[in-house]
Amino acid sequence: MNLSVQIQPANNGSQRVAIGGRLDTHSYQELDRQLAPLLASAIHSLVLDLANLEYISSAGVRSVFKARKALAARGGRLLVAHPQPQIQKVFDVVKAVPLNEIFSSMAEADAYLDAMQQKVLRGDEDE
Amino acid sequence: MHILLQVPQEEGQLGDLVAAIDGVLAREGVHPGVAHDVQLVTEEVVCNALDYGRIEGRQHEISVGIAIEGDLITLEFKDDCVAFNPLERPDPDLDADIADRPVGGLGVHLVRQLAEEISYAREGVHNVLRVVLRTEPPGRPA
Repeated sequence: MNLSVQIQPANNGSQRVAIGGRLDTHSYQELDRQLAPLLASAIHSLVLDLANLEYISSAGVRSVFKARKALAARGGRLLVAHPQPQIQKVFDVVKAVPLNEIFSSMAEADAYLDAMQQKVLRGDEDE
Repeated sequence: MHILLQVPQEEGQLGDLVAAIDGVLAREGVHPGVAHDVQLVTEEVVCNALDYGRIEGRQHEISVGIAIEGDLITLEFKDDCVAFNPLERPDPDLDADIADRPVGGLGVHLVRQLAEEISYAREGVHNVLRVVLRTEPPGRPA
């Protein structure tokens, strides 16, 4: 099975991307290519929905880490939702994404982002 | 159970090799989570051997021996590339700040962490890397 990448419309500066299949040495460049315009845009958060991702190797982890690094450099963040156990294990071993930025469902990731957004809005009103 | 697979050592052949290994593991009833780790180890080892050891203009071949005994899977990778011991590579600093962390160097670390045992030997003109994995995934937290 090959890689599938579905980019959903950005909402409130947050972009959701569903990645499925195999993210490996053959397919990571395709992910890099599809994420590049998103990383160059003004989004502040990128949520990777990994529910259908079945396989990842270090080449794939590198792509995710690179995206996280690009967002972090401008104060943005990358969240991971719903990784299967074998994917979660790989992420844990190489500490690609901090545990508190990995969520068991998209709903949890959304709730986290909403809470962040609320905090930002409240902060703005306090000024 | 013991089986030996041989493929030309080219990146394009990796998919075939992984598919063949996966077929063997499925036939032997190996847990899919463990099959994932075996595929991962194979990809990392073969890609590293290609990246560091390939001699331009020469045909290389890699063989992978798979032995399943009791609750252990032993993978033996043998290639005729330049001598390269992946175990001599330093571990990446995973706790460094994200801005300072390099994006590479994770493959060997992954293989070491997933393996129950790992050893390297240069035997004549061959690199031989032996990686042992458990056939049952370790107990996962409920």
